[in-house]
Formats: sequence, structure tokens, C-alpha cells
Amino acid sequence: MREVISTGNELAAKAAVEAGARFFAGYPITPSSEVMHESSDLLPEVGGACIQMEDEIAGISAALGASMTGVKSFTATSGPGISLKSEQIGLGFIAEIPLVIINVMRGGPSTGLPTRVSQADIGQAQYPTHGDFASITLCAGSLTECYTETVRGFNLAEKYMTPVFVLLDETIGHMHGKAELPDLADIEASIVNRATFDGPASEYKPYKAPMNEPAVLNPMFKGYRYHVTGLHHGDEGFPTEDAFQCEYNIERLVGKINTVAAQNDGLDDLPDYEEYMLDDAEVCLIAYGSIGLGAYEAVQKLRAEGIKAGMFRPIMLWPSPAKKIAEIGAKFKDKIFVTELNMGQYSKEIERIIKRNDFTTLLKANGRPIAPAEMVAKVKEMM
Amino acid sequence: MRNTLRFTGVGGQGVLLAGEIMAACKIKDGGFGLKTATYTSQVRGGATVVDITLDDNEIRYPYANEGEIDFMLSVANVSYNQFKSGVKPGGIIVVDPNLVHPTEEDRKKWIIHEIPIITIAKEEVGNVITQSVVALAITNTMTKVLPKQSLIDTMLSKVPEKVHAANKKAYELGEKYALQAMGK
Repeated sequence: MREVISTGNELAAKAAVEAGARFFAGYPITPSSEVMHESSDLLPEVGGACIQMEDEIAGISAALGASMTGVKSFTATSGPGISLKSEQIGLGFIAEIPLVIINVMRGGPSTGLPTRVSQADIGQAQYPTHGDFASITLCAGSLTECYTETVRGFNLAEKYMTPVFVLLDETIGHMHGKAELPDLADIEASIVNRATFDGPASEYKPYKAPMNEPAVLNPMFKGYRYHVTGLHHGDEGFPTEDAFQCEYNIERLVGKINTVAAQNDGLDDLPDYEEYMLDDAEVCLIAYGSIGLGAYEAVQKLRAEGIKAGMFRPIMLWPSPAKKIAEIGAKFKDKIFVTELNMGQYSKEIERIIKRNDFTTLLKANGRPIAPAEMVAKVKEMM
Repeated sequence: MRNTLRFTGVGGQGVLLAGEIMAACKIKDGGFGLKTATYTSQVRGGATVVDITLDDNEIRYPYANEGEIDFMLSVANVSYNQFKSGVKPGGIIVVDPNLVHPTEEDRKKWIIHEIPIITIAKEEVGNVITQSVVALAITNTMTKVLPKQSLIDTMLSKVPEKVHAANKKAYELGEKYALQAMGK
């Protein structure tokens, strides 16, 4: 373990570089700017590059281009930036380009509340652009996770050949304190690199992938030629409108994430959620991201007052840990308390999974955090 | 034992750095420290609040809980009024009397000390930027939450070497004025 004193944004940048990223392109926006700032210090030291582009769209475009050459790339922004980037995010999905997109969430919609915390972009992370696809979205709930989930984001992007969202929020991105990070050797041992085709170039068909498996995109400029487009495409990447091919493409794009996650109970061996004092609990608080920090203390305060509370904290928001959420729904019945900094975006997912809406919610969308005391008061009302 | 401190001012006054130094010092001494800032989207002049939580045990929630703040220091009236309610009754509040004007009611509720922090930094240290170190010294002298030498060492590790002397002087002055205010 390595002990560091840092902020969430700085740790995300550090994680990216230690996960093997060598290119960042983006445009500064509160509250994510420090990710770029820190990257501009760290990347040149390891032979990488960090470019402040002319706008958000150029930022993601350059990052996608770099990724197509085989270089692990990332960009960072906040909600309005994701809106601007959304067209190119779609290109990343359909062309199957690995990319890590860090979104340090602030209040919205539009320019909203630039300096204030929010979790209102989790729906946007699930469906950031038009069309059918499946998103992978990780949500950091501590300073340590700003590091570990960013590393994980790169590994998932390479494994599944897709853009991956790593969500931080203003609180966790800017808070400054102690984080314990895995040793660098362990991080390096965990690194996943995208698959490549090593046969003769004449036989290379990058998009000829079996159902529920990702494309195999060799780095550009290495002798393997193929076409990259946002249009529906066939095995070599050239546009097609063939009905069978188009249907196969979409089923594969969705299936390589959602079906695989459902079949394997997740997309990797890392935890998709955290359970805190749930074993003997009579009420389950559900929170994620920085709101989980307050929920820990709410659980402790409730227990001090004789109410056996526990917490469930999703880390991989999309695809959601549905199996576990269903178990919680069955076990805790209506003694479930969901708290989030939006008007119920994840509450809807929980309702979808447990097929009931008899749980209690504490929702806030005014740019302020939710204090443990507010959670405690609301949980007491339901007990 | 948890200590919750709050610094308030307006953007650009350096209150963020003072909070960072305190959290870092506590961590270096083997404990847990968190600093969280809340600020506005105004370029300058917006109310800024920095919450510092120090504990020997792990801290998760990074903001001060309302009514649990032991100590607050304020160098801007707008932020003073906005954030004073978080201080527990009988808690200590230090204000710069040239900039912050507590009401009579406030003086009954809290122990309020008036120390001209900005003037001390500007005129006695000779560098207004050192106000954050004057504030740091006042805070630690009054709360005794951190070992003095450890705090000074952490502070010096975060400022350029060419201003070490000025910042040491700022710390000494802050300590002197704090002791005076406390009547020692």
C-alpha cells in the first residue's frame, strides 16, 4: 500500500498514467480541471502528451484518434462537456474505440451550478448519446476509488473495446485527504491491453467479431488497414445497410457489455458494490459516490441510537449490480432508503430491478451535499 | 476525538491552503484529516468556506456537520453571516474586525475574538499573502489540535523556500496575537 495526501481529481490523473495512459486531450471545466492540470504535469514525465484543445469536441476527438493508434487515452470534463462530446462518444461506441471519460459531476442541466456537487449525470452516463449501445460506468466513492476505479476504467475499456465513464463528483474530486493506493507493481500486474490480430494483413477483419465479443482493432499505422466510421459497418469497417449485419452489430454492441455482465455477474473480478454492516441490518441505505461518505456516518449514528442500519453502495453503476440489488429488494422489503443527489435517477433503476417502489428516498438537487443528520432523520421516520 | 474547524472568506484569500496544511499535518502525524472547500462560481469575491475535519479515527463525510464546529475563522462578512450557524454554541470564532461585524447576539452565543489578520500580514509581516499562515497560527494556538512544530514543518513544505522566513514570522505573529486575544 502507498499512502498519499491528495484530491480525487489528482488521484484520477495519477491512476490514468499508472494504468498506462499516455495521452490526454480535453478542455478545462470546473470541477474537473485539475484532472487535466495534473495530467499535464505527469504525462510528459513518462513520454506521454497532454493537449488543451480548442474545445470539448476537439478534446474527445483527439483522444479517440490517439486511442486508435493503440495509445491508451483519456479525457476529463463535467456535465456540459459530456453534452458537447456526445456525438463523438457515439463514434467511440459504434467504432469500438477504447477511451476513458472522467466526468466530475456538477449541478445541471446546461451550465447549471459550476462549483457545486451533483450526481445528476448518472442517467447521462448510461445513455450519453443517441442510438443503441451499452455503457460501462464506474462511480468512485472515496479518494482511494478515484484512483482504483480509474485504473479499472482503462482495463475495462481495453477489454471490451468501448468508452468507459468514470464518475467523480465535485465533493470527491476536490476533497483533500489521505488515500491508500495499491502498490504500483500490483497495478502494473493488473493492466489489460487490447487484443490484436497477428495473422497476415490480408486476412484481417477487425469487426468480424463473434456475438457478444468486442472488435479486434489493431493500432493504426502498423500495416493493418481498415476503415473506421460512425456508419453501420461490416467486417472490414466499410459502411453497410445490410439488415442482418445492422441487427447483428447492435446486438453485439449491447450484448458484449450487458449480456456478458449478466452471465458472468460483472465485467471483471473487482467489486461492483460495497456492503457495509448489512449482515444484521434491519434497514438498508443505498447511496453511491460522495453521498456514500455521508451514508457511512449515518449508519454509525443510527446504530448508536439502536437502529440496525447498513449500507449498500454500488460502484459499477452501469451495467448495474442487478442480482445484488434484487437480493436486497427481497431481503429488506420496504425498509430500503435510497439517497442521491438528483431527482431519483438511480432510484428508478432500483425500482426497475426490484419491481416495487415502496422504498423511501431522500433526493436533493440544489448543489449541496446530503448530511448524515438528514439521512438519520429520514430513516427514523420510516422505522 | 474529532475536531471540526471552518475557515471562511472570499475567493482568493488563501483560506483553502490553510485548510490543506492542517489536514496534511494531521495525516503526517498518523491520524486522519480532510479538507473540503465550497465556493461559488464568481471569479473573485464569492463566499468561500473550508471545512477541516481532524480525527485519530477514519473520517468519511468530509463536510462539517451543522452545529458541531468547534472553531471558525472568518475574514469576510458575507461568508461569516452565511456560515456562522455551523458553529456549536460556546464555540470560538475569530474575525478580522476590519472586515467582519458580528452582532451582539452572536457575541452572546459564541466566544468571539477580534484579530486584524489582514493588517498583521500586510503591515507587520509585509506580505498580504501570508494572511493564511497568520490564520493558521491563530487557529492552532486557540484550538491546540496539532503539534506546533509539526504544523510549521508541514506549512513550510508547502510554500517556496524564498518565503520561508516571512511565513515563519507570520506564524509567530499569529500565535502572539492569539495568546493576547485569549488574555494569556
